[in-house]
Amino acid sequence: MSRFIARLIPAGALAVSVGYALLLALSVGAHAQTMTRFPSVGTPSDTLSIHAATDLYALAPLIQDFQKLAPGTTVEILEYVTNDLFSAAARACHERRPLGDVLLSSSVDQLVKLANDGCAQRVDGPNLPRAPRWANWRDEVFGFTFEPIVMVYNRDSVPAADVPRTHLELAELLRREADRYRGRVGTYDVRLSGIGYLLAFNDARQTTTTYGRLLESLGRAQVVVRCCTSEILDEVAAGRLLIGYNMLGSYAYERVRRGQPIGIIMPADYTLVLSRGAMVPAHSPNPALAARFVDYLLSERGQSVGRSQSFFFGLDGAAPPGIEGPDVVTSGIARPIAVGPTLLAVQDAARRKRFLEDWSQSMIQTAP
Amino acid sequence: MARREPSLFVRLFALMSLVLVFGAAVLMTAAWYSARQAADEAYDRLLLGAAYQIADAIQVQEGQPEIALPVSAFELLALSDRDRIFYRVLDPAGRTMTGYESLADPAAGAAAPGKALVENATFDGEVVRVARVSRRFDDPQMRGEAVVVVAQTVEARQALARDLTFRSFILVGVMGAIAIGGTIFAVRRALAPISRLEAAIRQRDPLDLTLVSVSTPRELAPFVAEINGFIERLRGRVELMQQFIADAAHQLRTPLAALEGQVDLLSNDDVTPEGRKHLDRIRVRTGQLSRLANQLLSHAMVAHRERAVARSPVDLTELTRRALDEAIPDTLERDILVTLHAPPDPLIVSGDPVNLAEAIKNIVDNALRHGAPARITVRLSRRGDRAVVEVEDDGPGIPVAQWARVVQRFGAPSSDGKGSGLGLSITAEVAAAHGGALSFVEKGAFGFVVVLSLTIQGREFV
Repeated sequence: MSRFIARLIPAGALAVSVGYALLLALSVGAHAQTMTRFPSVGTPSDTLSIHAATDLYALAPLIQDFQKLAPGTTVEILEYVTNDLFSAAARACHERRPLGDVLLSSSVDQLVKLANDGCAQRVDGPNLPRAPRWANWRDEVFGFTFEPIVMVYNRDSVPAADVPRTHLELAELLRREADRYRGRVGTYDVRLSGIGYLLAFNDARQTTTTYGRLLESLGRAQVVVRCCTSEILDEVAAGRLLIGYNMLGSYAYERVRRGQPIGIIMPADYTLVLSRGAMVPAHSPNPALAARFVDYLLSERGQSVGRSQSFFFGLDGAAPPGIEGPDVVTSGIARPIAVGPTLLAVQDAARRKRFLEDWSQSMIQTAP
Repeated sequence: MARREPSLFVRLFALMSLVLVFGAAVLMTAAWYSARQAADEAYDRLLLGAAYQIADAIQVQEGQPEIALPVSAFELLALSDRDRIFYRVLDPAGRTMTGYESLADPAAGAAAPGKALVENATFDGEVVRVARVSRRFDDPQMRGEAVVVVAQTVEARQALARDLTFRSFILVGVMGAIAIGGTIFAVRRALAPISRLEAAIRQRDPLDLTLVSVSTPRELAPFVAEINGFIERLRGRVELMQQFIADAAHQLRTPLAALEGQVDLLSNDDVTPEGRKHLDRIRVRTGQLSRLANQLLSHAMVAHRERAVARSPVDLTELTRRALDEAIPDTLERDILVTLHAPPDPLIVSGDPVNLAEAIKNIVDNALRHGAPARITVRLSRRGDRAVVEVEDDGPGIPVAQWARVVQRFGAPSSDGKGSGLGLSITAEVAAAHGGALSFVEKGAFGFVVVLSLTIQGREFV
């Protein structure tokens, strides 16, 4: 058994995850996993356990709608941040014990890594062929949402002239108005958040020069880093932060719908598009039910519930009203992050270590 | 009885099909093998390319090897988009820089460590294809070979091999169908001369002793030659036999004529009434014998001419007139009115004039000999594509029951001893040889009628 574990764990992964666990314990104790139970509608017959790095408010309508189709199913949701979900799933897989029936994570690179290491099982269902080609790997990892990565700002405090339209404009704004924005720009802490790392990595790949300047500007502006989109959105809405960078469009739009003074910008140079991933782990105790849920997420019905109540963008890219910036799909600036083995490069331990070192150097150490 | 063998067509078809099936099996095996090779070659290049890209990304920084895995290497590998990817990068000291620690270096301890290689292996319980490349560092702080091992599962190459094989199978199948169809066509064409020969022989008249003249391929020539040889021998035999009958009949005639003369001489002498009675009997029998000899001769001639004489246009009216002249002897004891009714236009048939004349003479002779007290009427007419010769007499006629027999050789020798039983059979033979027939009309208001109908333009006479 121990030989098997040693064989499967990539070099360095252990050391890195130990390091994260430490960081986690120190800084984000508040985000330890919590469990929410959705009791069955009818006579309880089975339980679907979902381990998710997705906000509960977004998941709840989907769960409730799914329970109308499967009235006997009790659904348990365990919430994680992406990195915790990944390390827990990897550990469970290596020890060959179950960890939930479905994993949902916006950090699809981590799901792809799990699938590559043989920790996923193949899912069959009538609606699965609806997933676009870039959102399905090996019929094991499915992208079921279409989420533009946006910049947000506080409508009350940021003058219209300051609102950046592109990544470069943001870098220049922070340089030009350094005093005003110092300490008032928020983004992911890529060391804690898998999705933050995935987005930063893709930013770096899109334009090396712009990314370098942006990183430098963010560092100078003493950027505030957080584990999660929602925390930054809270602070932007409250006016403590003025600008949030690399936020998930769906979460931001949900705030707008709730009437918070948040403006959303789809960057006009390029807009990364993330597809939240779903996967059934290899040792799932209820693979058939799990497959049914994944199939539901991709079904017409599940997509429609997701579009109207949870994620607001369809897999076809249709955007809700009230978003600044061009239509990402028709204007061709969308850069979908394909669910596929290319993401393994993102997950390479050595590469990640080096990227995080560079990032930390720019972001944290330039801060006084 | 000879055992019934399967037909040539079945034999050829079965053998060709066997060859085709065997060929198709060989081709399909070859297609499957080469499809696997092709798929392996295509994907091995990607695998090696990715490994080289990764090796190229190794850098030495401050004496330490560093690796930033290039995304493009994974994009290359992602071209086989369903396959899992495992990799491992080792620094010159043999320490794992990144990747899967348990992925073995396939060339570890090999004689030529610098060589790139691709081979099959298993990893994590799955069949994988492993590529291994190395990169030599001669940096003052770092010397030796860094090694990159990249492994990928084989779903895509298997799918490609399956796809290629399937397409080849379709091609082989189509080729096979064409070949089978072609075989059926070719075998039928090749065997056609046999059917032609068979038809030519089957359609022959049993009396036809001419040579078979169907053109045949070389392979069939011996059979045709053999058949023709047989026909020639048979014809020789038949001719010899008829010649013998003719010679015998001819030889008999002279002594018979002498005998008749002697009998005539005798009758004038004084003979007892008893003796005269015997003498008359001898005279009748002698006449009968001489007629028989004549008719045997005539029959032999008719048979000979049927085979040997080419047909020519014959004016039936003229021919009938002459035949009547010859048939009715000047020495007839009684007065008989013979009339000939002919159409104004000449009635031309294609045939042998001598045989036709012989046939008509025989009918008239028959009428004279068996009755016809006072009248013989001959009518020529044309009915459609037939020329008809009707000979009517006022004699008693032939009873219906005997019609079938009188046309056979010696079928109905007349009871009164006047006929030989050959006359009408000769006529019937001539009629048949001219595509016609001999028939009778029962004695009615007019008299007994013998009808000889001939084809004017039979297919052989055109």
